[in-house]
Amino acid sequence: MPDSLKRLLRSPQGMIGAVILLACLVLVLLGPWLAPYDHQALSITERYRPPGAEHWLGTDQLGRDIASRILVGARATILLSLLATGLAMLIGAMLGTACAYLGGRFDEVMMRTMDALMSIPSLLFALLIVSTLGKSGMNAVLAITVSFIPGMVRIARSVALAQRRQDYVGAAIARGESSLWIVSRELLPNIAAPIIVEATIRVAFAIMLFATLSFLGLGAQPPAPEWGLMVAEARGYFFQAPWMMLMPGLAIALVAIGFNLLGDGLRDALNPRSGER
Amino acid sequence: MTGPVLEIERYTLDYQTGRSTLRVLDDISLDISAGEVVGLVGESGSGKSSLAWAIMRHLAGNARERGGQLRLDGEDLRGLSSSRLQALRGSRLAMIFQDPSAALNPTLSIGEQVAEVLVRHQGLSLREAWARGVALLGGVELKSPEAMMRRYPHELSGGEKQRVLISTAFACRPRCLIFDEPTTALDVISAAQILALFTRLREETGVSALYISHDLALVSRVADRVAILERGRLVESAPAATIFSAPAHEYTRRLVSAVPDPARRLIDQPPASATALLEIHKLGVSYGRPGFVDRLFGRASETTQALRELTMTLSPAEVVGVVGESGSGKSSLAKALVGLTPFAGEIRFEGRVLSNAAGMNRAYRRQVQMVFQHPDASLNPRQRIGEQLARPLRLYGLAPGESEKHAVARWLEEVRLPAEFASRYPHELSGGQKQRVAIARAFAARPALVICDEITAALDVSVQATVIELLLELRKRHGTAYLFITHDLNLVRQIAHRIAVMYRGDLVEMIDAATLDARGASHPYTRALLEAVPRPLRGHPAPSSLQGTP
Repeated sequence: MPDSLKRLLRSPQGMIGAVILLACLVLVLLGPWLAPYDHQALSITERYRPPGAEHWLGTDQLGRDIASRILVGARATILLSLLATGLAMLIGAMLGTACAYLGGRFDEVMMRTMDALMSIPSLLFALLIVSTLGKSGMNAVLAITVSFIPGMVRIARSVALAQRRQDYVGAAIARGESSLWIVSRELLPNIAAPIIVEATIRVAFAIMLFATLSFLGLGAQPPAPEWGLMVAEARGYFFQAPWMMLMPGLAIALVAIGFNLLGDGLRDALNPRSGER
Repeated sequence: MTGPVLEIERYTLDYQTGRSTLRVLDDISLDISAGEVVGLVGESGSGKSSLAWAIMRHLAGNARERGGQLRLDGEDLRGLSSSRLQALRGSRLAMIFQDPSAALNPTLSIGEQVAEVLVRHQGLSLREAWARGVALLGGVELKSPEAMMRRYPHELSGGEKQRVLISTAFACRPRCLIFDEPTTALDVISAAQILALFTRLREETGVSALYISHDLALVSRVADRVAILERGRLVESAPAATIFSAPAHEYTRRLVSAVPDPARRLIDQPPASATALLEIHKLGVSYGRPGFVDRLFGRASETTQALRELTMTLSPAEVVGVVGESGSGKSSLAKALVGLTPFAGEIRFEGRVLSNAAGMNRAYRRQVQMVFQHPDASLNPRQRIGEQLARPLRLYGLAPGESEKHAVARWLEEVRLPAEFASRYPHELSGGQKQRVAIARAFAARPALVICDEITAALDVSVQATVIELLLELRKRHGTAYLFITHDLNLVRQIAHRIAVMYRGDLVEMIDAATLDARGASHPYTRALLEAVPRPLRGHPAPSSLQGTP
């Protein structure tokens, strides 16, 4: 693993992605303490302040400091997206590998179900789930998880299928290894890389999907400082105070780009052959 | 015609990789006279294909030509414009590739592809070209050429496809032909037919050719002169008749001694067989299972019978070679024996009768080990060599008084690899080294029988020779029996006590190697196979008389 980390940091995408995400990690961990103001403090006199020395990123229609709100909101936005993607990755990888290894009827039933789920656009599907279960942040996480699972299953299954045909699996069977060993120690390490890469790139989608749900009023609820929600709330004041929408939007874009770059870097770094030459 | 047709003079080529450059061809000088066939032999990475592409003027983007000249009939190929080159390729200079299926366009009929060449280079009308095409296909001994013209590449066998390509290459009466391993992808008998065809066409047309191959024995049969390429350097160029009997350069000598020669047996002492180690009784393997719809309607489904009722016995410490073309069922036999594919029939081992893979217990799994063809695939790319070698030790126990680390080091040493390889990953090793690791892993279980499925097919000749030597040494030390599956009849005759000849799922003949040497084969298929295998052209008292006409 140190080798792949070294390789990751040597590639420019990996390096930039890692720096952006490290900054995000700081926000997630220390955001509330770094915030210059109380993120919920209202102020009639400080409304619609453009970015400046006093308020770095300006203030909103209630006079709340946008920089503080972004810093505090990082935790909700990033953590919930990561949670959704992580859950989808775990469940998807498990189901996909099981499909590839067991084959037969289990595979058939599983994959047709996934096809049915995939035929519904993911945003529509998430909307459906949230509107059925009720509006809340955790329901949005669940919605994103469920809408991501079919894609992860397909990827895990196709990668595992290709690996299953490799001779080292045959060699392990012929050697008399147990099925558990073959799946966990022979197969999984070889399919982990593409799945992790896919998950990293999907985090960016999750952030945007989550922001979209919040924008539509189905994710985080006001007055939570969630980034998507902040963009939604700023919609009405766009001409008056464009920074209100611009700042959280930039934050979303920056994190999404960070995860995308990291995903690209990881794809090269996790391939043990890419170290040659 | 005086003067050479193709002249390569002090040609040097580099490949740019990142910041460093890799010299692929270093100061190559080679002439091919009219009507002469020059064989170019080298191992993988020696630069032989790069030379072919340099002559065809189709080099990779990172190729840097450092100097030298390439001349066809005195005309410098390097200075030609791209339109001149296009006119030249396919007419005066033609090339035949290793994989005929990749060289034909799968969406065009054979006729369209043959006619296109004639329309383009000979200015014929489409109708004339089509008629010429039929005649050409007839000329390369393809049956019913008119019907063949309307077929698509996937409807032809590999040998037929190669014939089509040869017919188009010869169509425009080229001055020089380049063959890049034209028979490597074909089975032995089709390869022999292609070579016979080439020999005939060459006599008829008097074409010059550069014949590139890794197979020294084959080249010594085909070519008038053989040039040996070692890592981009031309180390020797000698008449084909003398290359085997009097190799001058040290590398050539090594190459020559590595070529399997059936006359040179590497194995002695036929084993004293009191009891059988493994009995295979009416073993059958079939692929394809009935589909859902077929089962619903009770329809008979189409299954492919890969192996039919094979019966054979193996004695302890015996080496049984299994030979046959691709699709003859040799790999199915290996897979059935280690339980990787469902089978019918019985396997008897140490008094136990096994009728399915589930019946293979730990003792059987330990005693019967397999080494696969591609070490790249059979070693887990994400585990270190040491971890992989430790698995059989952990499953089947260590020798008393030995730690796992010591055992791994000892097994690495037994296959002549340094002990520090234990901490490396497979991709850090060369092909031959990886195969040694795979062999060590098989032997670490202390087996009684090791099944070797084409284990040297992916390796260079000189590496093959050392792997074979290692196998024989391990057998001597541990008394292991081998089931040695290969397509190389020369090799198997060197090392096997008995040879099983397989054809389309049937065991056609089981013959003692000694009997084969003394009396020859009895089954016609075995005889055909024996005739098709190119045997090295060994030195004769008067080599000059054997030399081809230059």
